[in-house]
Amino acid sequence: MTEPAAPILIENLQLAYGANRVLDGMSLSVPAGSITALLGGNGAGKSSTLAALLGFVRAESGTIAVNGIDPGARPDVARRQIAYLPENVALYEHLTAVENAQYLLALSGERHGRDAVGDALAAAGLQESAWDQRLGGFSKGMRQKVAIAVALLRRVPVLLLDEPTSGLDPRATADFNLLVGAVRARGAAVLMVTHDLLSAADVADRIAFLEAGRVAHDVAASGPDRFDVRALHARFQTGGRQVAA
Amino acid sequence: MSRVRLIARDELRLMARNRVAVIAFVLLVLLTLVAVASSWAHQRTSADLRARHAAAAEEAFDAQPDRHPHRVVHYGHFIFRPLGPLAAFDPGVDSFTGNSMFLEGHRQNTANFGDVRQSSLLVRFGQLTPAFVLQVVAPLLLVFLGYGALARESERGTLRLLMLGGASRGQVVRGKLLALGAVAVLAGLPAMIGFALIAGQPGALALPMLTIATGYLAYLALWVVLVLAVSALVRRSRDALLALVALWAITVVLLPRIVPDMAGAAVPLQNRLQTDVAIGRDLRQMGDSHNPGDPHFAEFKQSVLDRYGVSRVEDLPVNYKGVMALEGERMTSELFDRYAGASYAAQERQNDLVRTAGILSPAIAIRDLSMAAAGTDFAGHRRFLEQAEAYRYTLVQRLNRLQAEGVAYADDVAVDPGADRRKRVDAGNWDAMPDFRFDAPDGDTLVRAAMPGLLIVAGWLGVAALLLAFATRRLGDRR
Repeated sequence: MTEPAAPILIENLQLAYGANRVLDGMSLSVPAGSITALLGGNGAGKSSTLAALLGFVRAESGTIAVNGIDPGARPDVARRQIAYLPENVALYEHLTAVENAQYLLALSGERHGRDAVGDALAAAGLQESAWDQRLGGFSKGMRQKVAIAVALLRRVPVLLLDEPTSGLDPRATADFNLLVGAVRARGAAVLMVTHDLLSAADVADRIAFLEAGRVAHDVAASGPDRFDVRALHARFQTGGRQVAA
Repeated sequence: MSRVRLIARDELRLMARNRVAVIAFVLLVLLTLVAVASSWAHQRTSADLRARHAAAAEEAFDAQPDRHPHRVVHYGHFIFRPLGPLAAFDPGVDSFTGNSMFLEGHRQNTANFGDVRQSSLLVRFGQLTPAFVLQVVAPLLLVFLGYGALARESERGTLRLLMLGGASRGQVVRGKLLALGAVAVLAGLPAMIGFALIAGQPGALALPMLTIATGYLAYLALWVVLVLAVSALVRRSRDALLALVALWAITVVLLPRIVPDMAGAAVPLQNRLQTDVAIGRDLRQMGDSHNPGDPHFAEFKQSVLDRYGVSRVEDLPVNYKGVMALEGERMTSELFDRYAGASYAAQERQNDLVRTAGILSPAIAIRDLSMAAAGTDFAGHRRFLEQAEAYRYTLVQRLNRLQAEGVAYADDVAVDPGADRRKRVDAGNWDAMPDFRFDAPDGDTLVRAAMPGLLIVAGWLGVAALLLAFATRRLGDRR
């Protein structure tokens, strides 16, 4: 029996912005029901990987598939398979939290009543008193919770997270990790770009290190083969060069 | 609901929640309603007034007592150009050129020369008409409501949010087009109410009305597309606003003001004083029909005597003074026609230059279209002047003929106490003179005149659509 293709599949990806080569033979696979954390130094190509998966940039060569769809060729279709939580959450300030969620979900072809949206906002940790307020006065954390609620409500096979815990306090980070775990339990493939190794080690199944445009190391972050987090952390701080040693 | 409609609905919701936008929109609607009401009332009042004055002038002319025909030539006659129903929508040059004219012998009066030189220059700001609101104010409202439609989405990162929802660039742009287009339609609706009022009037022509409606629809659509194209091309809302306000100021305010001045400088027209001096000089050279000793008319006199085979004017079967008046009027009219023709030709050249500048300014093009279809442009005014002159010439020559055939030469030159009585002809002759009836152009003529403007607006719309298509392809790209 053949194994189903992973919802996130990248093979030998080449990507450059002009003379600047960003990805150079990158390969990565995120199976359904798993979380992979993608780590790497600044400019290692983490955000470009997400942009390629979202179809915002086209790779020069290699294979990239989101639930079997090439986002370079069919970006609109590929994006409908993805829930994406950017580092800087952009939402509509003239809309309330509930309206934002309902509008963005409707765009994705999903209709959710106020109760369902309210449940998701509550699960994301947004106080009920804020649900019907316009986002103009929301803090970054509150906006992020609205975006998380939208991502939770979208029943899609792929969840992409870009520095999701940046700016969150430890308790909020822990709550967030729980929510991501719930999405994984639903069967989604989650790719999380982060600098926060400890948080990644807490929530991810695997951790991939991006170096010089390719995944240099791909280690288990849970289970019996789990890598020693402290050692990983120490080596990651040196640039990850000794990780596999 | 489709993505396009969802995006449009959200854009409209954003506008509805923006107090400034709502106030601006309400003000525009009120302004248009006031313009429609005031133009309508003005047109009705003006049309009634002209009809009353025209009737009174005809009555006064017909009520003259027994008179010498040449006194009637100098008594003159007032005529009035009736206003078409579409003048309520766009009065064009009407307010500046006037619609009444005093007709008399030996001269073509006023409007032919002096003041009418302004006809291509005067249609600027100042009149609160539905046409003015749609040409000038509505585009500005569309700029203020739409400048950020796409630039704001790029600037704040929400464009990606839309695209992540599965919306394509085209769907995003079409959604914004739908929203801003709906605003444009709503903005134009009060003017259409005015149109509905006009449509019920006698003399309202369907084809010109359709042309005007199509023209303004294309003009507002052009601004919708332009606003979105600029909003898509720049990254920041502020830049989009600056670029669009500059575009509006140049194409809607500046060019329609300076282009007529440039046309006036390129094709200078003589002012009324210069024209009068030149005509006076030519008249002196031509001779004086009132002076029987004038060399030119001495030659004419001989030719008349030869024609009738007599040697003295007293022996002519017709009144020589009347024959001389006929000839004099023919000659002076030819002279006046020559000057009028030169003036018309120069004004046409000016208007052609302004019309050509419509390629640079859709506001000029829509203004030309609107006036031409409404029959209130320079061509409409000229039509009135030419018909008035034709009527004047016919009337004066009928009176001169009446003098030649109805008044004996001996009586005409007599100075005895009873002579004045004998020179008069019966008052019934005045009533027999035909009244002036303005022959309004038909719908096809008006539509043909409006076509160049419509084509230029359509051309602008096409170019703007191409620009938007280009901008749409680049939308959301990293720059």
